[in-house]
Amino acid sequence: MEAVSLWGLGVVALACAVAVFACDSMARATFALLGSLVCVGGVVFVLGLPYLGVVTVLMMVMEMVVMAVFMVAYMMNPAGLMPMSMLHNKRGALGISAAVFASLTGAVFLVDWPQRRGSPPRDTTFQVGKALMGGQMLTMVVLGFVLLATMVAATVLALHRGRYDRLGDDLDRCPARDPAGGGVGR
Amino acid sequence: MTFELVLVLAAGLFSVGLFGALSQQSIVMIMMGIELMIGGVIVAAADFWHFLAPAAADGQVVIVVAVVAMAVEMAMGFAVTTALYRARQVDTTDMARELKG
Amino acid sequence: MSALLWALIALPLGAGAALLLSGRRWNALAPGLGLAAAAGTFGLAVASAVFRPEASAPLFAGVRAGLRVDGLSAVLVVAVAAVTTAVLVASPGELGPRENRGRFFGLMLLFAGAMTVTVTATTLPPLLMAWEVMGATSWALIGFWWHRPDRVRAADTAFVTTRAADLGLYLAAGAAMAGGVGSLDLTALTGAQGGWRHVACAGLVVAALGKSAQLPFSFWLSHAMRGPGPVSALLHSATMVAAGAYLLLRLHPLLVATGWAAPLVAWTGGVTALALGVVAVAQRALKQLLAASTSSQVGFMVLAAGVGDPSGGTLQLLAHAAAKSALFLAAGAWLTSLGTEQLPALRGAVRRHPLLGAGFVAGALALAGLPPLSLWVAKDEVLAAARAQSPGLYALGLAAAAVAAGYSVKALWYVTRPLPHDHDHDHDHGQEQDGGRRGARGPTRSVSTPVVVLAAAAVFLGVAALPGLSGPLRGVLGGGQQHAPNPWEMALSAAVALAAAGAAWWWLPRSAHAPRTASAGKRWAADWLSMERAARAVLVRPAFALARALAAFDDRAVDGAVHHLARGGLTLARGAARADDHGLDGAVRAVAAGCRRLGAWARRPQTGLLHQYYAQAVVGFTLLLSIVLLVR
Repeated sequence: MEAVSLWGLGVVALACAVAVFACDSMARATFALLGSLVCVGGVVFVLGLPYLGVVTVLMMVMEMVVMAVFMVAYMMNPAGLMPMSMLHNKRGALGISAAVFASLTGAVFLVDWPQRRGSPPRDTTFQVGKALMGGQMLTMVVLGFVLLATMVAATVLALHRGRYDRLGDDLDRCPARDPAGGGVGR
Repeated sequence: MTFELVLVLAAGLFSVGLFGALSQQSIVMIMMGIELMIGGVIVAAADFWHFLAPAAADGQVVIVVAVVAMAVEMAMGFAVTTALYRARQVDTTDMARELKG
Repeated sequence: MSALLWALIALPLGAGAALLLSGRRWNALAPGLGLAAAAGTFGLAVASAVFRPEASAPLFAGVRAGLRVDGLSAVLVVAVAAVTTAVLVASPGELGPRENRGRFFGLMLLFAGAMTVTVTATTLPPLLMAWEVMGATSWALIGFWWHRPDRVRAADTAFVTTRAADLGLYLAAGAAMAGGVGSLDLTALTGAQGGWRHVACAGLVVAALGKSAQLPFSFWLSHAMRGPGPVSALLHSATMVAAGAYLLLRLHPLLVATGWAAPLVAWTGGVTALALGVVAVAQRALKQLLAASTSSQVGFMVLAAGVGDPSGGTLQLLAHAAAKSALFLAAGAWLTSLGTEQLPALRGAVRRHPLLGAGFVAGALALAGLPPLSLWVAKDEVLAAARAQSPGLYALGLAAAAVAAGYSVKALWYVTRPLPHDHDHDHDHGQEQDGGRRGARGPTRSVSTPVVVLAAAAVFLGVAALPGLSGPLRGVLGGGQQHAPNPWEMALSAAVALAAAGAAWWWLPRSAHAPRTASAGKRWAADWLSMERAARAVLVRPAFALARALAAFDDRAVDGAVHHLARGGLTLARGAARADDHGLDGAVRAVAAGCRRLGAWARRPQTGLLHQYYAQAVVGFTLLLSIVLLVR
């Protein structure tokens, strides 16, 4: 039962992954990616990690929707009505990816994998939560900082006008140059 | 056997994602490729946890980290694209070649 | 007593040097000072002749500079001083106030001093030094008007010829030292050993013949006529040309001791007397005629030295000195006043200035050897001694005496012709054919008086040598009575002279009006027997050719070696520079270019395109991973 579902989910995931880059329409590409990653989440669920699987699916849905918005905003051909190829270095990329796939597959089948050690606990969610709050606390903290930094960086990058636009290169212009007056340094 | 095949699936996802990252011009499409690559990593990590070390939580932590990486990558990628577009009205990497040596 | 001798030498030498150095500064005083010095010298000479002093000073190691006035020297110093004084009296007439009189009088006095040292020297070094000073001053005097290159060339020819002959004196001094005569005393030269005596004698004979203008050196006397008249009057009549004859007279014992020298000298003198007499007859210029006749008359003196007759030779010297200096002074005066010395142009010259003319006539008659004048008496002495030696010499001498009469009469005939019709105009335009100054002034008393005095001496000196009255002279000269001429000899020579004179007088008018085609022999005689051409071909041209060859060798071989060395060095330097530029610099440049190329290659991956960076990263990581996995 497990194998069949794994097989099915794997095939779909791969098909959707290929479809991401084969579609002309951006919206369809986005949803193809969603499909692929949902299947990934499904695979994780089947392999005995329900919590993480569900988290993956949820995250992917959110991301893909956000991505769809940005896709439509920035891309030239959102509906795919004009068939055009936005590829460069297609042969080189194919070559490299084929080589990588071949080497990875070869490694998979040639490496002498060790034996299974231990058995899965009854509550895998508890296992990961305990680990993150205990032995892997450092990882947790780092992840937290990374997320914070990402938030700050994204905000700064995305701002239309920043401090330097308002206060000059040396941050010493007084009063600040705002389109509409007001603010703290008035 | 299942173990290897799932790993092959992971390798396949990774390769397709790599193809996309290398061959797409649009920044958003490149990001999609990277998402696929990280998806492959997630599959591989889950496979390793299940078939080699289910008693340890390290496999799951890797999956958590990969998921966070996905989120971070998406956020930073869109922020950079926005900033680039604001500065130069471009959204393809071929136009942004100022760092050419 | 030696102080007298030193004073005799120092006075003319010192005064001459002072006047020479003063140059033009004391031009007005120079004649007076010069004359005073000459008169002083004359006084000292007379005193020396009376007191016979002797002096000597150390010179080199073992060699002393010795001076002595004996019989021969006494007569000669008086003669030299007297002629010098007379010539210096006449000099201002020839040299105007614009000339450098200080130089002239200084050189003349220096010459007189050197001649005095020559006739009083007892050792070779002072003789040599004085000989050289005579040569140098004669060069300066002949080339006195040095602005004219032709006169300077003439002076150079005369100087180089006599100088070449003077090398014989150095040879003789060296041979004497090698032959063991360490003191270089003139009387001791006969004691030189073996071959060195012959060498020394040969050197002395050559030097004497050269200075006295005997064959084959006679041609320099022709060039010496380019100097001022007083120079010829002093140098080439009384002193310089007689110095060689004096040397031979003094060294007669040496000539006899070698065996071959005395006959050689005698025959050379005789042949010169005859040959140069013929040359004199062929001359058309008065001074050239007188020069050739000087050489001929000195030939008689040399003949006397060869046969060993000092009294005859000395008497000939004195008589010739008086006669010839008078003639030269007159010729110089005519050259100044009439502007010419060509005989045809000098017609009637004696009638223009009667006193001068009378002196010239007297001198010419004496020169002809007509009885009872001095030169006839002197020649008789010499010929008697020659007859005792060999009849051939006697015949030669008699023929030379006849020729002497011939040329003297030639000169006399021309100048005693009636004056030309345009006599009044001749004073204004004198034809210059030898570059002499245009005569505008007539000869003054200062010239005429010395000429007359010297001519009188020439006429009356013979009295002192007539047989019966010549005792005192012989006693002074120290010669014996063995060479007194017989009466028939005297009659024969008188007849020969008179006959020759009469023949010349009769024949000259015909030749003067005859067409002027000269035979080859006459041309050869007029060219002084082509001696100069021979000397040039034999000596001058080979010397110059050798010099040119050596110069070419120096230029091509020596210079060439240096030049090629330099070029080789330059080539080497250029090669090294090329090696440095191409090799070392090239290597450096290649390294830099290589680095630049490597840098360009290194920049190529940096395309600025994101996907290519991804691709490079993937490939790199894969490689790294595979290496890590495979190695571990």
